Amino acid sequence: MTPVTSSARRLMAYLGVWLLAGLALSGVLVNAAWAAWLPTLVLVLPMAVCLGFVAASAYYVCRSVELTRRGGFQTIAVFGAAAALSGGLWALLCLGWNALGASLLALAGTEPAAREPSAGGFLVAMPSGAMIMLILLAGGLYLISLLIHDIWLAADQVRAAQGREAQSLLQARDAQLQMLRTQINPHFLFNSLNSISALTSQNAAAARAMTLELAAFFRQTLALAGKERIPMADEVALCEHFLAVEKIRFGDKLRTDIRVSDAARAVLIPPMLLQPCIENAIKHGVQHVVEGGCVAVRAFVQEPWLYVTVENPVDPDAPPGTGTGTGLVNIRNRLAALYGERARIGWTRHPDSFSLEMVLPTTVAAP
Amino acid sequence: MTPLRILIVDDEPLARGLIREYLVQHPDLSIVGESEHGLQAVHDITELAPDLIFLDIQMPKLSGLEVLELTGRRSGVIFTTADDQHALKAFDLHAVDYLLKPFSQERFDDALARARRALAQVQPEVQNLLADAGQRPARILIRDRNQVHVIAVETIEYVQAQDDYISIHSAGREYLKTQSLAELATQLDPAQFVRVHRSYLLNLQFLQSLERATKDNFVAVMRDGQHIPVSRSGYERLGGLIDGR
Repeated sequence: MTPVTSSARRLMAYLGVWLLAGLALSGVLVNAAWAAWLPTLVLVLPMAVCLGFVAASAYYVCRSVELTRRGGFQTIAVFGAAAALSGGLWALLCLGWNALGASLLALAGTEPAAREPSAGGFLVAMPSGAMIMLILLAGGLYLISLLIHDIWLAADQVRAAQGREAQSLLQARDAQLQMLRTQINPHFLFNSLNSISALTSQNAAAARAMTLELAAFFRQTLALAGKERIPMADEVALCEHFLAVEKIRFGDKLRTDIRVSDAARAVLIPPMLLQPCIENAIKHGVQHVVEGGCVAVRAFVQEPWLYVTVENPVDPDAPPGTGTGTGLVNIRNRLAALYGERARIGWTRHPDSFSLEMVLPTTVAAP
Repeated sequence: MTPLRILIVDDEPLARGLIREYLVQHPDLSIVGESEHGLQAVHDITELAPDLIFLDIQMPKLSGLEVLELTGRRSGVIFTTADDQHALKAFDLHAVDYLLKPFSQERFDDALARARRALAQVQPEVQNLLADAGQRPARILIRDRNQVHVIAVETIEYVQAQDDYISIHSAGREYLKTQSLAELATQLDPAQFVRVHRSYLLNLQFLQSLERATKDNFVAVMRDGQHIPVSRSGYERLGGLIDGR
């Protein structure tokens, strides 16, 4: 559908304009005493409407060669050829109708030829060179129509691009909120607040330290969650704030051993990949072991892969299955969506420990 | 008047410290103990018989509700929890009072005053809560003198009724529990556990085959080769389940 024919009202208005232009042209012709009103109108008005449709068809030419994907030469060639062809065809049509219309009028009983002997079997007598004039007129109008359509299409593309941009922004925001909702574990937050409440009178300095760590953790979560890729170093820093809070909560029960190689620190990874693993290690692991235990994190690079492992003790009496939260499954899904087959995460529950391994490509390339 | 004896149960030292601090305002109470996890709480409740217990829900080894189930304690309990959607829903459903962490001294005093009014009386709302929590348990708790056994339901092979107790067979071991077979049968999933005989409840997962013993008597052969008698009505129940698959 061309923009003109896409609605009946638009089409009427468009044809109205062409009819008015035809009327004006007829006026000029009659004034110049080329012909009488009736044959002039019979010739010009249908041809004006016809030219209107021809000009509207320019839309398809513009669409067929997309604005952003054509060179200057190609544009000139295509537009020129289309304009010449349309102009020529329309001029031939005029010529034919000029003759046919005259015969029809004669049949209907009015005989323009009788009153205008100079017309000689035509509605309007054409001077020599009129054919060229008609071709130029139609071709020129067609070119203008091409340009107008081009501008219209360009504006349309800009609008669509803006719409897409707004849409993708919304989706990104949605994903971010979703992430935060799963990220901010209410159990962690409220227990931490309870610890701070306890510390305010027992150890004010520790209460302040814990508040600051908690604030740093949430601030970084907010900052990182919106990003597509972050250096592993940033994720490790986030985990260290998280662990600092948990260590105040659990005291001596929670110990950590984090070793991340310099090469691993520089690798770009999706945010919130390691933190849920560590949270899992505490929530389903160390917390349930009476004597406590150590969460061991290792990250190293063996080109072209980044290896990350997390190990923690678990209560041997706890029924198997309590060690795998939905958090790990979420990570697996995220990795699949981001890397396809190029990344994986696996975990194993041993009698008294739990180990997890993630492998990611060190370079962010399209899978 | 002897002071009220208090037990604090929570796995986080700071959380216990907070309750200790709030209790300073109440000099007529004395703290007799603190438990760091569920098993210790079961032990402490039995040993110390405290008048009032501050009980955390999420703990290592056993949850707060499991501690109550094992000790049979139904009175003088104040629950504390940070955010356990599952527990909170159950609390609200049965109108059980609880302290939501972090809580204020006022809220603490209020809960304490309420608990003191009904001290030694059984709290019916707690009774209902536990009855509800006992439905479709994932694990069975057994107290054997000073030991507590936790058995995952899916590892139970079969249960045999004896005089006034039942013996639960799981992973090559036998555990005794004072409970009726009928009561246990109502707690377990009827699609998995079938009462094949007046004295036997078996887990279909561990059933190997059915063999005809006499003209109209069958025995169930378990995966480990154990034979279990099947009564006529037990055979019908089994048939319904197996055909229905």
